[in-house]
Amino acid sequence: MTEEITREKWLLSRRQFLKGAALAGTGAALAKAGIFDLTPARAQGTTHFLPGPTADYQVYTMCEMCVWRCGVVAKVRNGVVEKLDGNPNHPHSLGNLCARGQSGLMMTYDPDRVLAPLMRVGERGSGRFRQATWDEALDFTAEQMLRIKDTYGPQAMVFSSTHNLSQPLFENLLNAYGSPNYGTQRSLCFNAMVTAHLLTYGIQEPARRYDGMKYIILTGRNLMEGISTSETRQLMEVISEGAHVVVLDPRFTKTAAKAGEWLPIKPGMDLAFHLALINVIVSENLYDRNFVNNYTVGFDELAESVKPYTPRWAAELTEIPEATIYRIAHEFAAAAPFAFAHPNWRTSNFVNSFQTERAVAVLNALIGICPEQGDCIFPEEDHVGLGSPPQPAYPRISAQRLDGVPWKYPLVPLKLGVFQEIRDNILTGQPYQARGWFFSRQNPIMSLPDQAKTIQAFEKLEFIVSVDIILNDSSWYADVILPEATYLERYDPVHAVGNRVFIRQPVVEPLGEARSALWIYRELGRRLGLQDFFQYVDEEDYIRQQIAPFGVTLEHLKQVGYFDVPREKKSGERIWDTPSGKVEIASETLRRAGFPAVPVWEAPPEPPAGRFYLLTGKVGQHTQFATQNNAYLTEVDYHTHDLWMHPLAAAERGIRDGDLVRVASDVGEVEITVWVTEGIRPDCVYMAPGFGHTSKGLKKAYGRGANASRVHVTYTDPVSGGQALTQTFVTVEKA
Amino acid sequence: MSHEKLTLEEREALRQQTLVKHYTANILTHWFNVAMWLFLLPTGLGILLGKIYPFVPEAWNNLMNQIFGGLAPLIHWHSIFGQVWFFVLIFNVLFGFRKYFIPFAAQRMFMDRDDWKWLMIRPFQMFGFKKNQELPPQDAYNGGQKLYSYLVVVGTVGIGVTGLILTYSEAIPTSLQWIIQWAMPLHFLAVGTTFAGVIIHVYMGAIMPEERQAFFSMFTGKVNGLYAYLHHRKWYERKMAEKAAWEDFYNRQLEAVGVETPAEGGLEAPPAPEPAGGD
Amino acid sequence: MAEKKRYAFVIDPARCIDCRACLVACRAEWNTPAGQTRIWVHSDGPQGVFPNLSQTFIPAQCHHCEDPWCVDACPTGATFKREDGLVLIDEEACIGCGLCVNACPYQARFRNTVTGKADKCSACFHRVEAGEMPACVATCIGGARLFGDLNDPESTVSRAIAGRAVYRPITNEVNTQPMTLYLSSPAAAAVQVSPQPREPVPAETFWHTVALPVVKAAVALAFGGQALAFIFQLFKGENEYEEA
Repeated sequence: MTEEITREKWLLSRRQFLKGAALAGTGAALAKAGIFDLTPARAQGTTHFLPGPTADYQVYTMCEMCVWRCGVVAKVRNGVVEKLDGNPNHPHSLGNLCARGQSGLMMTYDPDRVLAPLMRVGERGSGRFRQATWDEALDFTAEQMLRIKDTYGPQAMVFSSTHNLSQPLFENLLNAYGSPNYGTQRSLCFNAMVTAHLLTYGIQEPARRYDGMKYIILTGRNLMEGISTSETRQLMEVISEGAHVVVLDPRFTKTAAKAGEWLPIKPGMDLAFHLALINVIVSENLYDRNFVNNYTVGFDELAESVKPYTPRWAAELTEIPEATIYRIAHEFAAAAPFAFAHPNWRTSNFVNSFQTERAVAVLNALIGICPEQGDCIFPEEDHVGLGSPPQPAYPRISAQRLDGVPWKYPLVPLKLGVFQEIRDNILTGQPYQARGWFFSRQNPIMSLPDQAKTIQAFEKLEFIVSVDIILNDSSWYADVILPEATYLERYDPVHAVGNRVFIRQPVVEPLGEARSALWIYRELGRRLGLQDFFQYVDEEDYIRQQIAPFGVTLEHLKQVGYFDVPREKKSGERIWDTPSGKVEIASETLRRAGFPAVPVWEAPPEPPAGRFYLLTGKVGQHTQFATQNNAYLTEVDYHTHDLWMHPLAAAERGIRDGDLVRVASDVGEVEITVWVTEGIRPDCVYMAPGFGHTSKGLKKAYGRGANASRVHVTYTDPVSGGQALTQTFVTVEKA
Repeated sequence: MSHEKLTLEEREALRQQTLVKHYTANILTHWFNVAMWLFLLPTGLGILLGKIYPFVPEAWNNLMNQIFGGLAPLIHWHSIFGQVWFFVLIFNVLFGFRKYFIPFAAQRMFMDRDDWKWLMIRPFQMFGFKKNQELPPQDAYNGGQKLYSYLVVVGTVGIGVTGLILTYSEAIPTSLQWIIQWAMPLHFLAVGTTFAGVIIHVYMGAIMPEERQAFFSMFTGKVNGLYAYLHHRKWYERKMAEKAAWEDFYNRQLEAVGVETPAEGGLEAPPAPEPAGGD
Repeated sequence: MAEKKRYAFVIDPARCIDCRACLVACRAEWNTPAGQTRIWVHSDGPQGVFPNLSQTFIPAQCHHCEDPWCVDACPTGATFKREDGLVLIDEEACIGCGLCVNACPYQARFRNTVTGKADKCSACFHRVEAGEMPACVATCIGGARLFGDLNDPESTVSRAIAGRAVYRPITNEVNTQPMTLYLSSPAAAAVQVSPQPREPVPAETFWHTVALPVVKAAVALAFGGQALAFIFQLFKGENEYEEA
């Protein structure tokens, strides 16, 4: 499909050019030759025709291979993206890019890209589509969405999308349309962490400060594989400066390999570990009295409630020696204030994860995370007041949310939602039947647990539309696919990191008919009669309205890639954004909702005999379910899509390294090859997410590895709404 | 040599005779070959580098590099000229196959007893040995020349084929990489041994006074009768016989149409179509 | 001209996290064919018995040796060592014979299946000349791969090795004076850090044992013989009547 430009083609032309140049150069060399210098020319590095890649120009933009959004310097030659480098001016890249960032250009030059709108012609799921014009595809989409709205009400249309810069426009579309049903990746990822930290600190996602750190506890934050470029780098930096890192993980991850201490904790028991640390720190008076007295509430209640959580108690649950827990509690407290327990994205992914995150949050408060006033390990976030186009108020929504917030999950923040619940309620038709689904850059068939259920839900719907770059597994079931330009081909709304505002701008023209999300949503909005919510002429106009308050021209921003907004110097004591204005060790909000106000022990379920914990976790070469078709990444993701199994467990079942095995849970089974390794607890097996794609539109990814979401059972944490991804117990036997 | 048997007058008479030894096409081919060797040998030496060829002074590599503006263009020009050289030779052989190549092969590629005998004596005479031994009569080309033509034919084909392999080496898959690896020493071996022959050829053809006629024949195409008689007796005699036969035939043709036979020393018969060697 | 440069890689295996960004960066920078890489990150897998495990990651690439065997093996001079220490390939002068590939005891070279030429790490000389770091170094998140001028005391490499023990990937058999300095012993089974001398290919042996001696002897004999003959002829003198 990308016939007109491929990198190979371009390289070929470069080679021919050089050959011509080699011959043409001879005449010139002869002409200027008068006296010959007989010193070795090659040794001086003056060889003329040594080819090296050269760029015509470079463009500053932002990466979109994951949600960290590193700054990128894209080099272009002959209209083709040649190389991406990390932008040293961007605090998220610090000049580096990870493997995914480096491979970004192959997303643009993926031969499987959808380059024109597609409309389904065969059975749903048959993968038979025809190309359509934008007008046709958008008209049809608008017609269907209006039909659903008129027949069943706007709530019958489900919207879903995953973290991206044009998400505000997507949300604008769904809010203007009037649907309360919005699914995001959040409940599959960080609901527990965000909910816990909002309740404790009033901070959604605490930023982490690494400089000078001496002691770090990582619980499920596999930073060396779940890479956030700058943070991973900062962690490596402090490790090499001598910081002690404790990694709690049932699996010997690459983070464990780099850490000073790896504790192969029993899954789900990290809550017990943290409660025991709190127990020691409280009972032995190792906490920061000043901070606790002045900036927190509920310490006494905590002191009382953690009494049973002794290291001896925890040792039995966690299978970590009592002395180790005791020692770590002391070391951690002694290193304060240059110590923190990482808030993580997720912990061990059990229904008790919310309590675990609360324990982490409280543990940090106890040792005093603010060494100096205003200089906290969880610093306050900058707020850059970007401009936006004018728009009317959203229509009033009276329908209940299909995700059960707040009627089933009272404490889940409205913004986070419970995605898996929407899927379940499409199936049950309760409290009402959804009829359509619009997803943008998301792959719910792969990402939601219990894939069979998700496919059933899809089959129940009357209309499915997707915005995507490639034909991902969910788009495979869609009725209309609207092809979006890749991040190297389009504008997105600008993005602030700290007080610095960055632009994502087209590095090259979009291939085929691909269009930016800003364009797609505006065009669709216009057809839905919602044009007042999309008051911008084009992408550049949108950005101009965003940066209007700062007196910066778009041209300047495009050229430099960013601009700085002056920081407001905050004065006075820090006020925490919680009901009490302090760090809430005991939360009244929780108490009122009928949950324990302080972190308490909640036993996670354990696998019945003969079953394993099925672990999940990141690999450094892929992002969720989106990058497995990238040609560059598939070459370097070796040893990532096998099932990890301990030699003892394997021997018991007569399984040898490289064997094909069947992994089965209550909801499904997959076949996968085994990697027998010492690097995992004997009671666990591990599968990386993102493999086992079922869309034949992904030629590289199709059928490669196995998909864990086929066996994942859906369990939702009643407090935070998070999916307990590790709470699936499987049998493993030779296939 | 057997010139003792000739009187001074006979020698002078022989000297006045002119025999055609080379056609213009052969002469041109020869000098084309020379020109190409003069280009290809120094450039080829300029390419050789590394511990394998310590005998090529690095200054020579550098000189060649400087002239051509780098190693890559040096190699490109070497292979371009090499291909021109090889394809022109192939072209000549193909299109002059009947007219030039068969006679060339017939005259130069078959060794007889006399040739071997000659080879057993002549080289020694050059250094003052076997002075009194009689050299056997030779055809248009002597045993040494015939040996040399073997060398040239084999060498040229070897150089050309290996050269083409090296020029288009990037098209050879890595699994057949050994072809390139063998092409290099064989190219070198073919050039080196042919060049050793060239040294002798140049000395014998251009420096030895006795072969001066042969040298000039590479420009004019002709040699005089005395040289032919002394050095290539078999050829001389055959040529004379051919000439006589041709004259006889011609005269009979004239008689048949009623033209009087010209008197002695009068109108000469046109030369016979002569098979000649190319060099 | 400024002081002579002496480029080197300094690699700190302790800081490598095996993210393989370098592999992709190199792949993108040079568009090497699928399955062919100029650089490596080696690991012997988790060592030890659960739960006492360790794992090291050893980045490697061409070591730009001070005594590069590949340069000696190259028949055309397409592979050469620059004064600044970089061992480079003039692709246009390379005939893809693979002798250098065979000669490198680190197997740091390969024959590019698309170009048909020898290929290997070039330390991204074009980036270095433009003041940038090689692609792998520039993108290295862990800071494990460093590159720079050892003659410049302020360079990142000089500062990284200051006061630290460095290890060169050499053995008793192979010492090509590699210009990659490891900050911890790069003990790994991989040949890129545990060099293995390799047998010359048959054609190379033929070259040394047959082609070269034969050509040398033939040329020497022919030339010497003719020179002698010429001297003999000088002594003999010329007789103008002898001339044909």
